[in-house]
Amino acid sequence: MTSQTSTTKAFGQVVTTETGRMGRVAYARIAPNEDLVQGIEKICLAEGFQNAFVRGGLGSLVDACLGTLDGGYQEIKGPAVEVVSMAGEVRSIEGDTPNASLAGIVADTDGNVYGGPFLAGWNPVCMTFEVTLEEWLPDSPEAT
Amino acid sequence: MTRTTQTGHHHPRLMRHAGSFNPVRIHSMHYQSGRHIRLELEPGRTLYDALVEPLRAIGVTSASTTILGGYFDHLEYCVAPPDPSGNAVIAYSRPIEAGSAFMVFGNATLGKDMQSQPLVHCHATLRTEAGEAKGGHILPQASVIGAVPLTVLVTALEGFELRQAFDEETNIPLLKPYKES
Repeated sequence: MTSQTSTTKAFGQVVTTETGRMGRVAYARIAPNEDLVQGIEKICLAEGFQNAFVRGGLGSLVDACLGTLDGGYQEIKGPAVEVVSMAGEVRSIEGDTPNASLAGIVADTDGNVYGGPFLAGWNPVCMTFEVTLEEWLPDSPEAT
Repeated sequence: MTRTTQTGHHHPRLMRHAGSFNPVRIHSMHYQSGRHIRLELEPGRTLYDALVEPLRAIGVTSASTTILGGYFDHLEYCVAPPDPSGNAVIAYSRPIEAGSAFMVFGNATLGKDMQSQPLVHCHATLRTEAGEAKGGHILPQASVIGAVPLTVLVTALEGFELRQAFDEETNIPLLKPYKES
């Protein structure tokens, strides 16, 4: 683990800035019944991205599960629940495996909207999900 | 309908689709870099024309775009309830009029349809003329940009292209990445 990729090294040593540049751009279509969050992690595995920003995402979920402030979840019933806004990133820190953090807004079958973090494993794609990832390449320690 | 649960186990349901299962679950392609463009959507034009024509003029036919907030003179969207015919799991609803609306945030994908014409697939969050927060699948040919240009961040996709093709599993046409023809 380098200092550039640490989120928290130790008490009082939180890394708040990370310089780097954008690298490759990937576009993917995730098929039905695949989980949205883990699907994006799998794209990073397939494309060899260690870190990435989610630059575009639209598609539908069977039902959506969004985390709530009390540690529970809110389920929005479909099908289909449309993802109408989404942002997030993928980081590979522990064990070199990609970990996606995604949040967004979804619309139910009446167009009513709900927002929050997408819970990994609980958001299966309904018809299709289009996502664009931009690789994030942190500067090496020697470059800073 | 929503359900809020404090804690507990959840088993998300899957859907059985009309067509044959495709063992390839993720179709992805990448290029070594992205080309970024700041685009202003011209007032009075449809979302479709305002996105497609300026990008086509600079050679961009496949792109992922982020639409920042802005006003529409007129906006229409639809939602995706279950398909009563059973041809597919869902079918888009009839157009819903949002009137003179504010688009809070949107993502749009630019590709080619099955006739090789430009295709814009856009989902967005909006505030309707009636003041309701809504979201859905925006109808780009029926939605007209308001008096102030909307800013769009475009990531042009190079080295491959997005094309609509019939998807045998879901039984509807979908955008996927392909090597450039």
